[in-house]
Amino acid sequence: MKIFVAVLLLISSFSTLYANTIFYLTKIPNLEIYDLNSSNNIKYLTAEKAFRVGFRENNVQCDKTDKNNIKKKFDLIKKNFDIYDKNFLKKINLKYVVLCEDLKVAEIKTAGVPNHKVKTLIVDINFDKRYFERSIHHEIFHMIDDSYKELFSYEKWEKFNTPKFKYAECSTCTNKLDLSLNNESRGFLTEYSMSTASEDMAEIFSFLMTDSENLDKILLKDTILNKKTLFLKSAILKIDNNFKFN
Amino acid sequence: MIEKVKQTTSEKLLLAVFIILGIVAFYIFLILPQKCLFIKSYDPQEIRFDNPENIAVLNVNCGNVIIKLYPDISPKSVERFRMLINSGKYNNIAFHRVVKNVIVQAGDLEFGRKDNLNYLYIGTGKSGFGTIKSELNDEIEFRAGTVGMARTNKLNTEDSQFFILLEDAPLFKGEYTPIGQVVYGLEVLDTIADDYKREYVLRPDFINSFKLLID
Repeated sequence: MKIFVAVLLLISSFSTLYANTIFYLTKIPNLEIYDLNSSNNIKYLTAEKAFRVGFRENNVQCDKTDKNNIKKKFDLIKKNFDIYDKNFLKKINLKYVVLCEDLKVAEIKTAGVPNHKVKTLIVDINFDKRYFERSIHHEIFHMIDDSYKELFSYEKWEKFNTPKFKYAECSTCTNKLDLSLNNESRGFLTEYSMSTASEDMAEIFSFLMTDSENLDKILLKDTILNKKTLFLKSAILKIDNNFKFN
Repeated sequence: MIEKVKQTTSEKLLLAVFIILGIVAFYIFLILPQKCLFIKSYDPQEIRFDNPENIAVLNVNCGNVIIKLYPDISPKSVERFRMLINSGKYNNIAFHRVVKNVIVQAGDLEFGRKDNLNYLYIGTGKSGFGTIKSELNDEIEFRAGTVGMARTNKLNTEDSQFFILLEDAPLFKGEYTPIGQVVYGLEVLDTIADDYKREYVLRPDFINSFKLLID
């Protein structure tokens, strides 16, 4: 036992200390406060240096936030988060939004990384401009899904699809990564929707929040998508009866 | 007749170097180790308080830290805190988690005791009195000197551990239970042993005593 303790102390002596009070809450090092004045209580944080975090291999990495870059983009980011009210955000465990650059998970570029356990969503402010706003809502859906797994049954969801269709094992286990609107949808809004049930839900939710007019037109022609959307809306209203879809 | 010998320039320089070395050595070996030398220790008996029944005095190696408790803001947590102070449970308990200029944390009654320090589990110990509910408050700012109940990542897991902030932490508002504010002696906590590489301190400092001004 003593040897084990000695080894543990030796290993820990090589780790660096980056514990400011923000780290206590988010478990992400090198963050600083950017804005605390939002009416829905979201605390916006930026990275004063690059950071690496992750459960096993520190596989989530993001670069320092350039001050001019965030200044240009912050209003747009805030506008999108402001859609959600304080009570709803509390229910889905979202309080801290980390705005950093060139976010990657296991070296794969990604728009956001949600972690409802520490009430944190990491957002890449350099994500593709065409899908940037929609990606914010996509990631918020993952926070919702992670907090209310029981409401978003993947088993039930898969039954909406044609019997032959199968999702991939994981969102990065496939080449279906295109986020542009698929005009011949047949149950899916984008190619990325076909990756997993969770991503499929997140894509529909993101259109519901950013492009509902266009979505309504698509739903008139696509019965599968229509069923999926009704399922999604009903589940979200179970979380918060006052939730407003755009 | 004694002939006066004039110092050469190099001799003068050498003398100056010796004097400087002497001063540096004096500072390094005698002044620097005295971490309490320039710290003022407050005597609570010499201070007039509006509500002395809400004053607690934490004594550590370099002096007293005087804390005003918040029974009106966090009644259940302050009640627990008072009970542990009154029963002497905090005496000889380690400051096990210290981040220089950021935070000090103590109060692990199970693994942080001076006579039974357990480096492997320190920070995870229980008081034996069970956990209490978080008393969150959206009004109280967490500034340097704020005393809060520590908890796990989940709410309602507060027990006996507490922290004192050494810097402002606006994000703590509404996240942790505030139980008081240091009113005198915050600088005493800057002397608590820390480790620049770890949050959890090897060979930590201990609370000498923790008492209420009026029992």
